[in-house]
Amino acid sequence: MRVVIAEDLALLREGLVALLRENDIDVVAQAQDAEGLLRAISGHKPDLAIVDVRLPPTFSDEGLRAAIEARRACPHLGVLVLSQYVETAYASELIGGNSAGIGYLLKERIGDVRAFLQAVESVAAGGTVLDREVVTQMLDSDRGRRDALSALTSREREVLELMAEGRSNAAIAESLVVTQGAVEKHITSIYSKLDLPACEVDHRRVLAVLTYLRLADG
Amino acid sequence: MSERVRLPPSLSALPKHPVRWMPALAAGLSLQQYASFLLRRLAGLAAVLMIAIWVLEGEGYFWPAWVWLGLSVPVTLDLMGRWAWRHERGASRRVALMWAVIMVGCGILVVTWILTWLLDGVREFWPAWGLLGLGTAGSAYSLIALHDRLLVARGRRALKERIDTLTRTRREAVDAQAAQLLRIERDLHDGAQARLVALTLKLGRAALRLEDRPEVKALINEAQREAASAISELRDLARGIVPPLLADRGLVPAVEALSSRYGTGTAIEVDIPFEVSPAAKGAAYFVIAEALTNAVKHSGAKHTAVRMCGERGCLKVVISDDGCGGADPLGSGLAGLRARVEALDGTLSIESPVGLGTEVSMTLPCAGERERRGAAERLAVGRHAVGIGR
Repeated sequence: MRVVIAEDLALLREGLVALLRENDIDVVAQAQDAEGLLRAISGHKPDLAIVDVRLPPTFSDEGLRAAIEARRACPHLGVLVLSQYVETAYASELIGGNSAGIGYLLKERIGDVRAFLQAVESVAAGGTVLDREVVTQMLDSDRGRRDALSALTSREREVLELMAEGRSNAAIAESLVVTQGAVEKHITSIYSKLDLPACEVDHRRVLAVLTYLRLADG
Repeated sequence: MSERVRLPPSLSALPKHPVRWMPALAAGLSLQQYASFLLRRLAGLAAVLMIAIWVLEGEGYFWPAWVWLGLSVPVTLDLMGRWAWRHERGASRRVALMWAVIMVGCGILVVTWILTWLLDGVREFWPAWGLLGLGTAGSAYSLIALHDRLLVARGRRALKERIDTLTRTRREAVDAQAAQLLRIERDLHDGAQARLVALTLKLGRAALRLEDRPEVKALINEAQREAASAISELRDLARGIVPPLLADRGLVPAVEALSSRYGTGTAIEVDIPFEVSPAAKGAAYFVIAEALTNAVKHSGAKHTAVRMCGERGCLKVVISDDGCGGADPLGSGLAGLRARVEALDGTLSIESPVGLGTEVSMTLPCAGERERRGAAERLAVGRHAVGIGR
């Protein structure tokens, strides 16, 4: 897998590069600002770009805007956006009309190295990974949606948050210390409570998470 | 300067006969007004009489001019006196009376000189010293009498200057504080928080290599959790200072995000034709956030509306809801925000009649934004730019 990293803080950038290289991921270029990122993407054609939201020169949301621009230029590029905070508005903008190959995580999730590497793999492979904080914000936000989702048990909600992070059933089971069969049962229950049509399983997984995003926009 | 005695309209209808002077008194003229009226009539009559006598005498040296001068003195004194009397009682009336007398004196000197020149052929301007003396005396008296008043005026001017200075420095202080807060928020993100993230990353990498030593790995995981909660605390702290969306995108997107977070059908209306300073943006944002929180949590509102508009150099924000009303203006969290609004010379008012919803209105003066923005930007030192824009 070929990865480009855009992060202005050297400490973090070097740590990320070291982590990815230790795990046989090829970091082909490192950028310190949005312009550098776009250059690196067009030059190296990577599978995935890992981007910090705040980049020079204004340190507001250049990274996010560059990521969206890069996706517009090459729709098959996976983009994993890292941020010190999550905003559902940013998640919605990032996804636009296409949630494939999109990741939006809080920076501190890097610390859980295994989960982070899994997220990297997942986004590069066209999956969707959203921070559990995004899901929490959305669950807390809309009263109407809260009513619709009040049918979800707290355990089902936990499962949904972990699904949003792009974790596999096995990883969810490990994280919640339950059997994989129990996780599958929860997920089936979530699908039926959210009234998601039975089709390809992976697609439904993403739909379950995006249900919240769409409702937040509407 | 002269004041005509205005007879009441009823008087003009009276027959033109000397007797009408007496009804004039009865018709409501004051004794003083009536006396001036009479004085001028008599003087006029006397002046005409003098001409007649002079003609009868055989038109020699034109002495009636001197009699006219004598007659004009009480008339002018009367006119000037009444002018002076119109001044405010006290020093200024005394000074006006003084000047009335001096003006009459000067008038007598000058007219006397004109008459001696015309009638007797005196050439040199002898009243010069008298005029100078009277003028000097009048000025000296005015200065002494009005001294206190000048002092008060000076005091007032000094006070006004002080108020101007205080207003300006407070505004600069508030702007500087806003810029500093913004910098602190950025520093928290890029400094302490980033270091903690780098730390958890290193700990994570270390943990990967210690799969065979579960007791050490557990310790590292614990350290990671602690670092994670420190990061989370820093994030909450930074969000309390300046919400990221407000710093990154400005007031309108931040308020939109707020409303979508509360999920009531918030109607947002925006018409701000000028740029708003970071300090005003912060105050407006936190007032809106607090008002929406109250609406959703306490008043059970189904609908909320936020209206933001720029009117005559002021940012006006109105947050209204259709909840139960009856909010205590002092009890809500808005009371704490009042100081913040007032520090910007703004006003905050809450109307919450029971059963009729709540309306929170805030007005912040934003005049002269451009100059102030320049000052705020200069204060934002270091590599951080100040997020302005709407």
